[in-house]
Amino acid sequence: MTYHDRNISRRDMVKAAGFGAAVATTAVAAPMAARAATAPGHQVQYAMVIDVRKCIGCQACTIACKTEFEVPLGKHRSWVEAVEKGTYPDVSRSFLPRLCNQCSEPQCVDVCPTGATYKREEDGIVVVDEETCIGCKYCMQACPYDVRFINPRTGTADKCDFCLHRVANGLEPSCVNTCQGKARIFGDMNDPTSEVSKLIAKNPVTVLRQEMGTEPNVYYIGADHADEADIRFANQYVRVDTNRPDEERR
Amino acid sequence: MLELNWGLPVIGYLFLAGVGAGALTVSSSVLLRGGGGGFGGDNVKIARYGALLAPPLLIIGTGMLILELGTFQAAVEHGDFWRLFRFINLFLTINLSPMSIGSWILAFCILASLAYAYTFIAQGVEADEKTVNLRRGLAWIGVPLGIAVAVYTGVLLGAMPARPFWNTPVLAFLFLMSSLSTGVAAILLLKAIFGGNSHAPESEPMDGGQFAKSAYLLAASDTLLIGFEVLVIFLFIMFGLLTIGNSAQAMAVILPGGDLAGLFWGGVVLVGLILPVLVELKYVIPTLLHHRPFAMPRSVEITVCLVVLIGGFMLRYVVVIAGQVTGPMGI
Repeated sequence: MTYHDRNISRRDMVKAAGFGAAVATTAVAAPMAARAATAPGHQVQYAMVIDVRKCIGCQACTIACKTEFEVPLGKHRSWVEAVEKGTYPDVSRSFLPRLCNQCSEPQCVDVCPTGATYKREEDGIVVVDEETCIGCKYCMQACPYDVRFINPRTGTADKCDFCLHRVANGLEPSCVNTCQGKARIFGDMNDPTSEVSKLIAKNPVTVLRQEMGTEPNVYYIGADHADEADIRFANQYVRVDTNRPDEERR
Repeated sequence: MLELNWGLPVIGYLFLAGVGAGALTVSSSVLLRGGGGGFGGDNVKIARYGALLAPPLLIIGTGMLILELGTFQAAVEHGDFWRLFRFINLFLTINLSPMSIGSWILAFCILASLAYAYTFIAQGVEADEKTVNLRRGLAWIGVPLGIAVAVYTGVLLGAMPARPFWNTPVLAFLFLMSSLSTGVAAILLLKAIFGGNSHAPESEPMDGGQFAKSAYLLAASDTLLIGFEVLVIFLFIMFGLLTIGNSAQAMAVILPGGDLAGLFWGGVVLVGLILPVLVELKYVIPTLLHHRPFAMPRSVEITVCLVVLIGGFMLRYVVVIAGQVTGPMGI
Protein backbone atom coordinates (compact mmCIF):
# COMPACT_ATOMS: atom_id res chain seq x y z
CA MET A 1 0.00 0.00 0.00
CA THR A 2 1.26 3.40 -0.87
CA TYR A 3 -1.24 5.45 1.05
CA HIS A 4 1.22 6.52 3.70
CA ASP A 5 3.86 7.45 1.16
CA ARG A 6 1.87 10.20 -0.44
CA ASN A 7 3.22 13.64 0.27
CA ILE A 8 1.13 15.89 2.35
CA SER A 9 1.49 19.55 1.67
CA ARG A 10 3.23 21.71 4.23
CA ARG A 11 0.10 23.73 4.71
CA ASP A 12 -1.82 20.62 5.64
CA MET A 13 0.85 19.55 8.07
CA VAL A 14 0.81 22.90 9.80
CA LYS A 15 -2.96 22.77 9.93
CA ALA A 16 -2.93 19.26 11.29
CA ALA A 17 -0.51 20.24 14.00
CA GLY A 18 -2.65 23.20 14.91
CA PHE A 19 -5.77 21.11 14.85
CA GLY A 20 -4.16 18.47 16.99
CA ALA A 21 -3.20 21.07 19.57
CA ALA A 22 -6.76 22.36 19.58
CA VAL A 23 -8.03 18.85 20.13
CA ALA A 24 -5.68 18.33 23.00
CA THR A 25 -6.85 21.43 24.78
CA THR A 26 -10.56 21.51 24.03
CA ALA A 27 -11.22 17.79 23.57
CA VAL A 28 -13.18 18.42 20.39
CA ALA A 29 -13.57 15.06 18.70
CA ALA A 30 -11.77 15.18 15.39
CA PRO A 31 -11.18 12.06 13.31
CA MET A 32 -7.54 11.63 14.13
CA ALA A 33 -8.08 12.33 17.81
CA ALA A 34 -10.93 9.87 17.86
CA ARG A 35 -8.69 7.16 16.52
CA ALA A 36 -5.87 7.99 18.85
CA ALA A 37 -8.11 8.18 21.89
CA THR A 38 -10.00 4.95 21.36
CA ALA A 39 -9.35 1.86 23.39
CA PRO A 40 -7.66 -1.17 21.85
CA GLY A 41 -10.13 -3.44 20.13
CA HIS A 42 -12.28 -0.49 19.14
CA GLN A 43 -13.49 -0.96 15.57
CA VAL A 44 -13.15 2.28 13.68
CA GLN A 45 -15.77 2.88 11.02
CA TYR A 46 -15.22 6.15 9.28
CA ALA A 47 -18.40 7.85 8.18
CA MET A 48 -19.51 11.13 6.72
CA VAL A 49 -22.51 13.22 7.59
CA ILE A 50 -23.63 15.62 4.89
CA ASP A 51 -25.82 18.41 6.18
CA VAL A 52 -27.61 19.24 2.95
CA ARG A 53 -29.17 22.32 4.58
CA LYS A 54 -25.72 23.86 4.65
CA CYS A 55 -24.75 22.85 1.11
CA ILE A 56 -24.77 25.77 -1.33
CA GLY A 57 -23.87 23.68 -4.38
CA CYS A 58 -20.58 25.50 -4.96
CA GLN A 59 -18.83 22.33 -6.17
CA ALA A 60 -15.71 23.19 -4.16
CA CYS A 61 -15.66 19.59 -2.89
CA THR A 62 -15.90 18.29 -6.45
CA ILE A 63 -12.92 20.41 -7.45
CA ALA A 64 -10.91 19.62 -4.32
CA CYS A 65 -11.43 15.93 -5.01
CA LYS A 66 -10.49 16.33 -8.66
CA THR A 67 -7.25 18.08 -7.78
CA GLU A 68 -6.42 15.80 -4.86
CA PHE A 69 -6.47 12.71 -7.06
CA GLU A 70 -6.02 14.20 -10.54
CA VAL A 71 -9.27 12.48 -11.44
CA PRO A 72 -9.39 12.15 -15.24
CA LEU A 73 -11.65 14.39 -17.28
CA GLY A 74 -15.26 13.28 -17.26
CA LYS A 75 -14.86 11.07 -14.18
CA HIS A 76 -15.75 11.94 -10.59
CA ARG A 77 -15.00 10.44 -7.22
CA SER A 78 -17.34 12.91 -5.61
CA TRP A 79 -19.80 15.30 -7.16
CA VAL A 80 -22.78 17.46 -6.26
CA GLU A 81 -26.18 16.93 -7.84
CA ALA A 82 -28.86 19.58 -7.97
CA VAL A 83 -32.50 18.64 -7.42
CA GLU A 84 -35.24 20.98 -8.63
CA LYS A 85 -38.78 20.20 -7.66
CA GLY A 86 -42.26 21.68 -7.98
CA THR A 87 -43.95 24.39 -10.03
CA TYR A 88 -43.80 28.08 -9.27
CA PRO A 89 -44.44 29.31 -6.64
CA ASP A 90 -44.19 25.97 -4.79
CA VAL A 91 -40.66 25.09 -5.67
CA SER A 92 -37.46 23.90 -4.11
CA ARG A 93 -33.90 23.50 -5.21
CA SER A 94 -31.49 21.53 -3.12
CA PHE A 95 -28.20 19.81 -3.55
CA LEU A 96 -27.09 16.26 -3.05
CA PRO A 97 -23.36 15.75 -2.66
CA ARG A 98 -22.43 12.25 -3.74
CA LEU A 99 -19.50 10.00 -2.98
CA CYS A 100 -18.74 6.38 -2.17
CA ASN A 101 -20.86 5.31 0.78
CA GLN A 102 -18.13 3.02 2.20
CA CYS A 103 -20.92 0.55 2.87
CA SER A 104 -20.84 -1.87 5.76
CA GLU A 105 -22.25 -4.50 3.38
CA PRO A 106 -20.45 -3.51 0.20
CA GLN A 107 -21.75 -5.44 -2.78
CA CYS A 108 -18.76 -4.33 -4.85
CA VAL A 109 -16.57 -6.35 -2.49
CA ASP A 110 -18.86 -9.38 -2.77
CA VAL A 111 -18.66 -9.51 -6.55
CA CYS A 112 -14.97 -8.65 -7.05
CA PRO A 113 -13.44 -11.75 -8.65
CA THR A 114 -9.84 -10.94 -7.78
CA GLY A 115 -10.23 -9.55 -4.28
CA ALA A 116 -8.90 -6.21 -5.51
CA THR A 117 -11.72 -4.39 -3.77
CA TYR A 118 -11.96 -4.93 -0.04
CA LYS A 119 -13.15 -3.26 3.11
CA ARG A 120 -10.30 -2.30 5.37
CA GLU A 121 -10.69 -3.81 8.81
CA GLU A 122 -8.86 -1.00 10.56
CA ASP A 123 -11.13 1.83 9.47
CA GLY A 124 -13.98 0.39 7.39
CA ILE A 125 -12.95 2.18 4.22
CA VAL A 126 -13.62 0.28 0.98
CA VAL A 127 -10.56 0.47 -1.25
CA VAL A 128 -9.43 -0.79 -4.64
CA ASP A 129 -6.00 -2.34 -5.01
CA GLU A 130 -4.81 -0.88 -8.27
CA GLU A 131 -2.27 -3.67 -8.74
CA THR A 132 -4.80 -6.49 -8.47
CA CYS A 133 -7.84 -5.05 -10.25
CA ILE A 134 -8.30 -6.27 -13.81
CA GLY A 135 -10.98 -3.76 -14.79
CA CYS A 136 -13.81 -6.22 -15.34
CA LYS A 137 -16.39 -3.58 -14.30
CA TYR A 138 -18.41 -6.07 -12.27
CA CYS A 139 -18.21 -3.76 -9.23
CA MET A 140 -19.46 -0.88 -11.36
CA GLN A 141 -22.54 -2.93 -12.18
CA ALA A 142 -23.04 -4.00 -8.59
CA CYS A 143 -22.74 -0.57 -6.98
CA PRO A 144 -26.22 0.90 -6.44
CA TYR A 145 -24.70 4.39 -6.21
CA ASP A 146 -22.77 4.49 -9.47
CA VAL A 147 -19.72 5.84 -7.67
CA ARG A 148 -17.20 3.67 -9.47
CA PHE A 149 -15.51 4.29 -12.76
CA ILE A 150 -12.68 2.93 -14.83
CA ASN A 151 -9.66 5.18 -14.53
CA PRO A 152 -8.47 5.55 -18.13
CA ARG A 153 -4.87 5.87 -16.99
CA THR A 154 -4.72 2.47 -15.33
CA GLY A 155 -7.79 0.74 -16.71
CA THR A 156 -8.71 -0.27 -13.19
CA ALA A 157 -11.73 0.54 -11.06
CA ASP A 158 -11.46 3.76 -9.11
CA LYS A 159 -13.63 5.52 -6.56
CA CYS A 160 -13.69 7.69 -3.46
CA ASP A 161 -11.66 6.23 -0.60
CA PHE A 162 -12.41 8.92 1.99
CA CYS A 163 -8.96 10.32 1.11
CA LEU A 164 -7.29 7.41 2.84
CA HIS A 165 -3.82 8.89 2.34
CA ARG A 166 -4.91 12.00 4.24
CA VAL A 167 -7.02 10.28 6.88
CA ALA A 168 -4.25 7.81 7.67
CA ASN A 169 -2.05 10.82 8.38
CA GLY A 170 -4.50 12.53 10.67
CA LEU A 171 -6.10 14.87 8.15
CA GLU A 172 -9.68 15.21 7.07
CA PRO A 173 -10.73 14.19 3.56
CA SER A 174 -10.10 16.85 0.99
CA CYS A 175 -13.80 17.53 0.35
CA VAL A 176 -14.48 18.00 4.07
CA ASN A 177 -11.45 20.22 4.41
CA THR A 178 -12.62 22.48 1.60
CA CYS A 179 -16.37 22.57 2.25
CA GLN A 180 -17.43 26.24 2.40
CA GLY A 181 -20.61 25.75 4.41
CA LYS A 182 -19.17 23.03 6.67
CA ALA A 183 -21.83 20.75 5.24
CA ARG A 184 -19.54 17.73 5.16
CA ILE A 185 -18.52 16.31 8.51
CA PHE A 186 -16.18 13.35 8.85
CA GLY A 187 -15.39 11.04 11.74
CA ASP A 188 -15.54 7.67 13.42
CA MET A 189 -19.10 6.42 13.63
CA ASN A 190 -18.29 3.91 16.32
CA ASP A 191 -16.96 6.56 18.66
CA PRO A 192 -19.97 8.05 20.47
CA THR A 193 -18.09 11.25 21.17
CA SER A 194 -17.28 11.96 17.56
CA GLU A 195 -18.93 14.81 15.71
CA VAL A 196 -20.60 12.44 13.24
CA SER A 197 -22.03 10.28 16.01
CA LYS A 198 -23.47 13.32 17.72
CA LEU A 199 -24.97 14.66 14.52
CA ILE A 200 -26.51 11.30 13.68
CA ALA A 201 -27.95 11.11 17.19
CA LYS A 202 -29.35 14.61 17.18
CA ASN A 203 -30.81 14.75 13.68
CA PRO A 204 -33.12 12.73 11.48
CA VAL A 205 -30.71 11.22 9.01
CA THR A 206 -31.21 9.29 5.78
CA VAL A 207 -28.99 7.21 3.57
CA LEU A 208 -29.23 6.63 -0.17
CA ARG A 209 -31.08 3.58 -1.44
CA GLN A 210 -31.40 1.96 1.95
CA GLU A 211 -33.50 -0.84 0.40
CA MET A 212 -30.39 -2.12 -1.37
CA GLY A 213 -29.21 -3.44 1.97
CA THR A 214 -25.72 -2.02 1.61
CA GLU A 215 -25.70 -0.29 5.03
CA PRO A 216 -24.11 2.95 3.79
CA ASN A 217 -21.84 5.01 6.01
CA VAL A 218 -22.63 8.35 4.41
CA TYR A 219 -25.55 10.00 6.16
CA TYR A 220 -27.57 12.95 4.96
CA ILE A 221 -29.41 15.55 6.98
CA GLY A 222 -32.26 17.21 5.12
CA ALA A 223 -31.61 15.52 1.78
CA ASP A 224 -34.29 15.63 -0.90
CA HIS A 225 -34.55 12.11 -2.28
CA ALA A 226 -36.72 13.18 -5.21
CA ASP A 227 -35.71 11.47 -8.43
CA GLU A 228 -36.90 11.91 -11.99
CA ALA A 229 -37.37 8.18 -12.43
CA ASP A 230 -39.25 7.73 -9.18
CA ILE A 231 -42.95 7.16 -9.75
CA ARG A 232 -43.73 8.89 -6.46
CA PHE A 233 -42.86 12.13 -8.19
CA ALA A 234 -44.63 11.36 -11.45
CA ASN A 235 -47.02 14.30 -11.09
CA GLN A 236 -44.30 16.64 -9.88
CA TYR A 237 -41.83 18.60 -11.90
CA VAL A 238 -38.54 17.04 -10.87
CA ARG A 239 -35.28 17.77 -12.55
CA VAL A 240 -32.00 16.30 -11.41
CA ASP A 241 -28.76 17.82 -12.62
CA THR A 242 -26.16 15.18 -12.05
CA ASN A 243 -23.43 17.57 -13.16
CA ARG A 244 -21.69 14.58 -14.69
CA PRO A 245 -21.35 13.28 -18.25
CA ASP A 246 -23.95 10.66 -17.28
CA GLU A 247 -26.93 12.95 -17.25
CA GLU A 248 -29.19 10.37 -15.63
CA ARG A 249 -28.82 8.86 -12.25
CA ARG A 250 -28.36 5.17 -12.38
CA MET B 1 -27.36 8.77 -22.43
CA LEU B 2 -26.16 6.19 -20.01
CA GLU B 3 -22.77 4.77 -20.68
CA LEU B 4 -22.91 0.99 -20.98
CA ASN B 5 -20.26 -0.68 -18.86
CA TRP B 6 -20.69 -3.96 -20.68
CA GLY B 7 -21.16 -3.64 -24.41
CA LEU B 8 -20.97 -5.82 -27.49
CA PRO B 9 -17.93 -7.86 -26.38
CA VAL B 10 -19.81 -9.11 -23.33
CA ILE B 11 -22.99 -9.73 -25.36
CA GLY B 12 -20.91 -11.58 -27.92
CA TYR B 13 -19.24 -13.61 -25.20
CA LEU B 14 -22.55 -14.56 -23.60
CA PHE B 15 -23.86 -15.68 -26.97
CA LEU B 16 -20.79 -17.51 -28.27
CA ALA B 17 -19.92 -19.19 -24.98
CA GLY B 18 -23.58 -20.03 -24.56
CA VAL B 19 -23.72 -21.77 -27.93
CA GLY B 20 -20.35 -23.41 -27.31
CA ALA B 21 -21.31 -24.66 -23.85
CA GLY B 22 -24.66 -25.83 -25.17
CA ALA B 23 -23.01 -27.63 -28.09
CA LEU B 24 -20.56 -29.33 -25.70
CA THR B 25 -23.35 -30.46 -23.38
CA VAL B 26 -25.53 -31.70 -26.23
CA SER B 27 -22.64 -33.39 -28.01
CA SER B 28 -21.55 -35.15 -24.83
CA SER B 29 -25.11 -36.20 -24.04
CA VAL B 30 -25.65 -37.56 -27.54
CA LEU B 31 -22.41 -39.49 -27.33
CA LEU B 32 -23.21 -40.95 -23.94
CA ARG B 33 -26.74 -41.78 -24.99
CA GLY B 34 -25.12 -43.99 -27.58
CA GLY B 35 -26.74 -46.25 -30.13
CA GLY B 36 -29.51 -47.07 -27.68
CA GLY B 37 -30.83 -43.54 -27.87
CA GLY B 38 -32.44 -43.93 -31.25
CA PHE B 39 -29.50 -42.46 -33.09
CA GLY B 40 -28.47 -45.75 -34.58
CA GLY B 41 -24.84 -45.47 -35.44
CA ASP B 42 -25.21 -41.78 -36.04
CA ASN B 43 -24.66 -40.56 -32.51
CA VAL B 44 -20.87 -40.31 -32.77
CA LYS B 45 -21.15 -38.38 -36.03
CA ILE B 46 -23.51 -35.89 -34.42
CA ALA B 47 -21.41 -35.70 -31.27
CA ARG B 48 -18.45 -34.89 -33.50
CA TYR B 49 -20.11 -31.74 -34.85
CA GLY B 50 -20.69 -30.42 -31.35
CA ALA B 51 -17.25 -31.46 -30.16
CA LEU B 52 -15.50 -29.59 -32.95
CA LEU B 53 -17.77 -26.56 -32.59
CA ALA B 54 -17.47 -26.00 -28.83
CA PRO B 55 -13.77 -25.06 -28.37
CA PRO B 56 -13.57 -22.33 -31.05
CA LEU B 57 -16.80 -20.74 -29.86
CA LEU B 58 -15.74 -20.85 -26.21
CA ILE B 59 -12.28 -19.51 -27.00
CA ILE B 60 -13.46 -16.70 -29.30
CA GLY B 61 -16.12 -15.73 -26.76
CA THR B 62 -13.63 -15.65 -23.91
CA GLY B 63 -11.24 -13.65 -26.07
CA MET B 64 -13.95 -11.04 -26.61
CA LEU B 65 -14.42 -10.88 -22.85
CA ILE B 66 -10.77 -9.95 -22.42
CA LEU B 67 -11.23 -7.12 -24.95
CA GLU B 68 -13.79 -5.58 -22.59
CA LEU B 69 -11.41 -5.50 -19.62
CA GLY B 70 -10.45 -2.00 -18.55
CA THR B 71 -6.84 -3.01 -18.00
CA PHE B 72 -6.61 -4.54 -21.47
CA GLN B 73 -8.00 -1.39 -23.08
CA ALA B 74 -5.67 0.83 -21.06
CA ALA B 75 -2.72 -1.42 -21.91
CA VAL B 76 -3.43 -1.09 -25.63
CA GLU B 77 -3.86 2.66 -25.33
CA HIS B 78 -0.69 3.28 -23.34
CA GLY B 79 1.41 0.52 -24.87
CA ASP B 80 1.84 -1.22 -21.52
CA PHE B 81 2.64 -4.78 -22.54
CA TRP B 82 2.38 -6.52 -19.18
CA ARG B 83 -0.93 -4.91 -18.37
CA LEU B 84 -2.40 -6.87 -21.29
CA PHE B 85 -2.13 -9.99 -19.16
CA ARG B 86 -3.59 -8.51 -16.00
CA PHE B 87 -6.54 -10.89 -16.32
CA ILE B 88 -4.22 -13.60 -15.00
CA ASN B 89 -5.11 -12.19 -11.56
CA LEU B 90 -8.41 -14.03 -11.96
CA PHE B 91 -6.54 -17.30 -11.67
CA LEU B 92 -4.34 -16.35 -8.74
CA THR B 93 -7.28 -16.55 -6.39
CA ILE B 94 -10.74 -17.97 -6.00
CA ASN B 95 -13.58 -16.46 -4.03
CA LEU B 96 -17.35 -16.57 -3.95
CA SER B 97 -17.75 -13.97 -6.69
CA PRO B 98 -19.70 -15.56 -9.55
CA MET B 99 -17.07 -14.16 -11.89
CA SER B 100 -14.25 -15.85 -9.98
CA ILE B 101 -15.98 -19.22 -9.92
CA GLY B 102 -17.12 -18.69 -13.49
CA SER B 103 -13.60 -18.00 -14.73
CA TRP B 104 -12.36 -21.25 -13.27
CA ILE B 105 -15.31 -23.17 -14.69
CA LEU B 106 -14.80 -21.53 -18.06
CA ALA B 107 -11.10 -22.36 -18.04
CA PHE B 108 -11.76 -26.00 -17.20
CA CYS B 109 -14.56 -26.14 -19.76
CA ILE B 110 -12.27 -24.84 -22.51
CA LEU B 111 -9.57 -27.36 -21.59
CA ALA B 112 -12.05 -30.23 -21.44
CA SER B 113 -13.67 -29.21 -24.73
CA LEU B 114 -10.25 -29.03 -26.40
CA ALA B 115 -9.37 -32.51 -25.18
CA TYR B 116 -12.79 -33.78 -26.19
CA ALA B 117 -12.43 -32.26 -29.67
CA TYR B 118 -8.94 -33.77 -29.94
CA THR B 119 -10.34 -37.27 -29.52
CA PHE B 120 -12.46 -36.62 -32.60
CA ILE B 121 -9.62 -35.07 -34.60
CA ALA B 122 -7.00 -37.68 -33.73
CA GLN B 123 -9.30 -40.51 -34.70
CA GLY B 124 -12.42 -40.46 -36.79
CA VAL B 125 -15.84 -41.76 -35.93
CA GLU B 126 -14.35 -45.26 -35.91
CA ALA B 127 -11.83 -45.05 -33.10
CA ASP B 128 -9.86 -47.60 -31.13
CA GLU B 129 -11.02 -48.64 -27.71
CA LYS B 130 -8.63 -46.41 -25.80
CA THR B 131 -9.82 -43.29 -27.63
CA VAL B 132 -13.45 -44.28 -27.24
CA ASN B 133 -13.01 -44.64 -23.50
CA LEU B 134 -11.23 -41.29 -23.27
CA ARG B 135 -13.95 -39.72 -25.36
CA ARG B 136 -16.66 -41.09 -23.10
CA GLY B 137 -14.80 -39.99 -20.00
CA LEU B 138 -14.45 -36.46 -21.33
CA ALA B 139 -18.11 -36.46 -22.31
CA TRP B 140 -19.00 -37.24 -18.68
CA ILE B 141 -17.02 -34.12 -17.71
CA GLY B 142 -18.38 -32.11 -20.63
CA VAL B 143 -22.03 -32.35 -19.64
CA PRO B 144 -21.73 -30.72 -16.20
CA LEU B 145 -19.07 -28.23 -17.33
CA GLY B 146 -21.19 -27.07 -20.28
CA ILE B 147 -24.22 -26.65 -18.07
CA ALA B 148 -22.10 -24.84 -15.47
CA VAL B 149 -20.77 -22.33 -18.03
CA ALA B 150 -24.29 -21.63 -19.26
CA VAL B 151 -25.68 -21.24 -15.74
CA TYR B 152 -22.93 -19.17 -14.14
CA THR B 153 -23.43 -16.30 -16.60
CA GLY B 154 -27.03 -15.98 -15.41
CA VAL B 155 -25.94 -16.17 -11.78
CA LEU B 156 -23.29 -13.53 -12.46
CA LEU B 157 -25.83 -11.08 -13.85
CA GLY B 158 -28.51 -12.07 -11.36
CA ALA B 159 -26.49 -11.46 -8.21
CA MET B 160 -26.97 -7.71 -7.97
CA PRO B 161 -29.91 -5.84 -6.39
CA ALA B 162 -28.52 -2.73 -8.08
CA ARG B 163 -29.52 -4.26 -11.43
CA PRO B 164 -33.16 -5.19 -10.82
CA PHE B 165 -33.78 -6.40 -14.38
CA TRP B 166 -31.18 -9.13 -13.91
CA ASN B 167 -31.84 -9.74 -10.25
CA THR B 168 -33.90 -12.91 -10.59
CA PRO B 169 -32.89 -16.55 -10.20
CA VAL B 170 -34.88 -17.38 -13.32
CA LEU B 171 -32.28 -15.61 -15.46
CA ALA B 172 -29.72 -18.39 -14.96
CA PHE B 173 -32.27 -20.96 -16.06
CA LEU B 174 -33.24 -18.83 -19.06
CA PHE B 175 -29.61 -18.68 -20.13
CA LEU B 176 -29.29 -22.44 -19.69
CA MET B 177 -32.33 -23.15 -21.85
CA SER B 178 -31.12 -20.70 -24.48
CA SER B 179 -27.63 -22.24 -24.43
CA LEU B 180 -28.94 -25.75 -24.91
CA SER B 181 -31.40 -24.83 -27.66
CA THR B 182 -28.83 -22.76 -29.55
CA GLY B 183 -26.32 -25.58 -28.99
CA VAL B 184 -28.70 -28.06 -30.60
CA ALA B 185 -29.40 -25.58 -33.41
CA ALA B 186 -25.69 -25.11 -34.08
CA ILE B 187 -25.13 -28.87 -34.29
CA LEU B 188 -28.19 -29.32 -36.50
CA LEU B 189 -26.94 -26.49 -38.71
CA LEU B 190 -23.55 -28.15 -39.21
CA LYS B 191 -25.27 -31.45 -39.85
CA ALA B 192 -27.58 -29.84 -42.42
CA ILE B 193 -24.69 -28.13 -44.17
CA PHE B 194 -22.10 -30.92 -44.11
CA GLY B 195 -24.13 -34.01 -43.40
CA GLY B 196 -26.32 -34.09 -46.46
CA ASN B 197 -30.10 -34.07 -46.73
CA SER B 198 -32.12 -35.31 -43.79
CA HIS B 199 -35.06 -35.71 -46.10
CA ALA B 200 -35.81 -39.44 -46.01
CA PRO B 201 -36.50 -40.94 -49.41
CA GLU B 202 -40.21 -41.50 -49.90
CA SER B 203 -39.76 -45.21 -50.41
CA GLU B 204 -37.90 -45.72 -47.18
CA PRO B 205 -39.88 -46.85 -44.14
CA MET B 206 -40.05 -44.65 -41.08
CA ASP B 207 -37.19 -46.30 -39.23
CA GLY B 208 -35.09 -46.74 -42.31
CA GLY B 209 -33.09 -43.54 -42.67
CA GLN B 210 -30.77 -43.21 -39.71
CA PHE B 211 -29.83 -39.76 -40.78
CA ALA B 212 -33.43 -38.62 -40.88
CA LYS B 213 -33.99 -40.17 -37.51
CA SER B 214 -31.16 -38.38 -35.81
CA ALA B 215 -32.27 -35.12 -37.40
CA TYR B 216 -35.71 -35.80 -35.98
CA LEU B 217 -34.33 -36.34 -32.50
CA LEU B 218 -32.37 -33.11 -32.65
CA ALA B 219 -35.26 -31.09 -34.03
CA ALA B 220 -37.66 -32.59 -31.50
CA SER B 221 -35.35 -31.84 -28.58
CA ASP B 222 -34.81 -28.32 -29.88
CA THR B 223 -38.58 -27.87 -29.96
CA LEU B 224 -38.82 -29.07 -26.39
CA LEU B 225 -36.00 -26.78 -25.24
CA ILE B 226 -37.55 -23.77 -26.95
CA GLY B 227 -40.82 -24.68 -25.28
CA PHE B 228 -39.07 -24.57 -21.92
CA GLU B 229 -37.48 -21.28 -22.89
CA VAL B 230 -40.89 -19.80 -23.65
CA LEU B 231 -42.05 -20.96 -20.23
CA VAL B 232 -39.04 -19.42 -18.49
CA ILE B 233 -39.51 -16.13 -20.35
CA PHE B 234 -43.14 -16.20 -19.26
CA LEU B 235 -42.03 -16.66 -15.65
CA PHE B 236 -39.40 -13.95 -16.06
CA ILE B 237 -41.98 -11.43 -17.24
CA MET B 238 -44.65 -12.53 -14.78
CA PHE B 239 -42.21 -12.19 -11.92
CA GLY B 240 -41.55 -8.62 -13.01
CA LEU B 241 -45.19 -7.82 -13.65
CA LEU B 242 -46.70 -9.20 -10.48
CA THR B 243 -44.20 -7.79 -8.03
CA ILE B 244 -43.98 -4.13 -7.20
CA GLY B 245 -40.94 -1.98 -6.92
CA ASN B 246 -37.61 -2.19 -8.66
CA SER B 247 -38.25 -5.41 -10.60
CA ALA B 248 -41.56 -4.22 -11.98
CA GLN B 249 -40.10 -0.85 -12.91
CA ALA B 250 -37.13 -2.42 -14.67
CA MET B 251 -39.28 -4.96 -16.50
CA ALA B 252 -41.23 -2.11 -18.08
CA VAL B 253 -38.33 -1.57 -20.47
CA ILE B 254 -39.23 -4.71 -22.43
CA LEU B 255 -43.00 -4.48 -22.03
CA PRO B 256 -45.05 -2.72 -24.69
CA GLY B 257 -44.10 0.93 -24.66
CA GLY B 258 -40.62 0.25 -23.31
CA ASP B 259 -37.45 1.20 -25.15
CA LEU B 260 -36.47 -2.40 -25.85
CA ALA B 261 -39.96 -3.79 -26.38
CA GLY B 262 -39.58 -4.06 -30.16
CA LEU B 263 -36.27 -5.89 -29.96
CA PHE B 264 -37.54 -8.19 -27.25
CA TRP B 265 -40.94 -9.14 -28.67
CA GLY B 266 -39.84 -9.03 -32.31
CA GLY B 267 -36.28 -10.29 -32.08
CA VAL B 268 -36.30 -12.64 -29.10
CA VAL B 269 -39.85 -13.93 -28.83
CA LEU B 270 -41.16 -13.86 -32.40
CA VAL B 271 -38.03 -14.54 -34.47
CA GLY B 272 -36.08 -16.48 -31.87
CA LEU B 273 -38.78 -18.61 -30.30
CA ILE B 274 -42.24 -18.61 -31.89
CA LEU B 275 -41.16 -18.80 -35.52
CA PRO B 276 -38.72 -21.71 -35.15
CA VAL B 277 -40.93 -23.61 -32.76
CA LEU B 278 -43.88 -23.42 -35.16
CA VAL B 279 -41.80 -24.57 -38.12
CA GLU B 280 -40.23 -27.37 -36.10
CA LEU B 281 -43.62 -28.48 -34.82
CA LYS B 282 -44.92 -28.63 -38.38
CA TYR B 283 -42.31 -31.27 -39.18
CA VAL B 284 -41.96 -32.93 -35.77
CA ILE B 285 -45.66 -33.52 -34.99
CA PRO B 286 -46.41 -35.84 -37.96
CA THR B 287 -43.50 -38.04 -36.90
CA LEU B 288 -44.26 -37.80 -33.22
CA LEU B 289 -47.99 -38.50 -33.40
CA HIS B 290 -48.52 -40.34 -36.67
CA HIS B 291 -45.15 -42.05 -37.11
CA ARG B 292 -44.74 -40.59 -40.57
CA PRO B 293 -41.20 -40.20 -41.87
CA PHE B 294 -39.45 -37.08 -40.69
CA ALA B 295 -39.07 -34.90 -43.73
CA MET B 296 -37.64 -31.48 -43.02
CA PRO B 297 -36.11 -30.03 -46.17
CA ARG B 298 -32.49 -29.01 -45.85
CA SER B 299 -33.25 -25.35 -46.62
CA VAL B 300 -35.87 -25.23 -43.87
CA GLU B 301 -33.48 -26.95 -41.48
CA ILE B 302 -30.77 -24.38 -42.16
CA THR B 303 -33.22 -21.47 -41.88
CA VAL B 304 -34.68 -22.67 -38.59
CA CYS B 305 -31.23 -23.17 -37.08
CA LEU B 306 -30.08 -19.72 -38.16
CA VAL B 307 -33.23 -18.17 -36.76
CA VAL B 308 -32.75 -19.93 -33.42
CA LEU B 309 -29.16 -18.69 -33.29
CA ILE B 310 -30.23 -15.13 -34.12
CA GLY B 311 -32.83 -15.39 -31.36
CA GLY B 312 -30.16 -16.55 -28.92
CA PHE B 313 -28.03 -13.53 -29.76
CA MET B 314 -30.99 -11.18 -29.48
CA LEU B 315 -31.82 -12.60 -26.05
CA ARG B 316 -28.31 -11.84 -24.75
CA TYR B 317 -28.39 -8.43 -26.42
CA VAL B 318 -31.73 -7.38 -24.94
CA VAL B 319 -30.96 -8.77 -21.48
CA VAL B 320 -27.51 -7.19 -21.22
CA ILE B 321 -28.69 -3.78 -22.48
CA ALA B 322 -31.95 -3.80 -20.49
CA GLY B 323 -30.12 -4.59 -17.26
CA GLN B 324 -27.86 -1.60 -17.69
CA VAL B 325 -30.36 1.03 -18.79
CA THR B 326 -32.60 0.29 -15.82
CA GLY B 327 -31.80 0.70 -12.16
CA PRO B 328 -33.36 0.95 -8.74
CA MET B 329 -36.10 3.51 -8.34
CA GLY B 330 -35.42 6.67 -6.42
CA ILE B 331 -32.23 7.59 -4.66
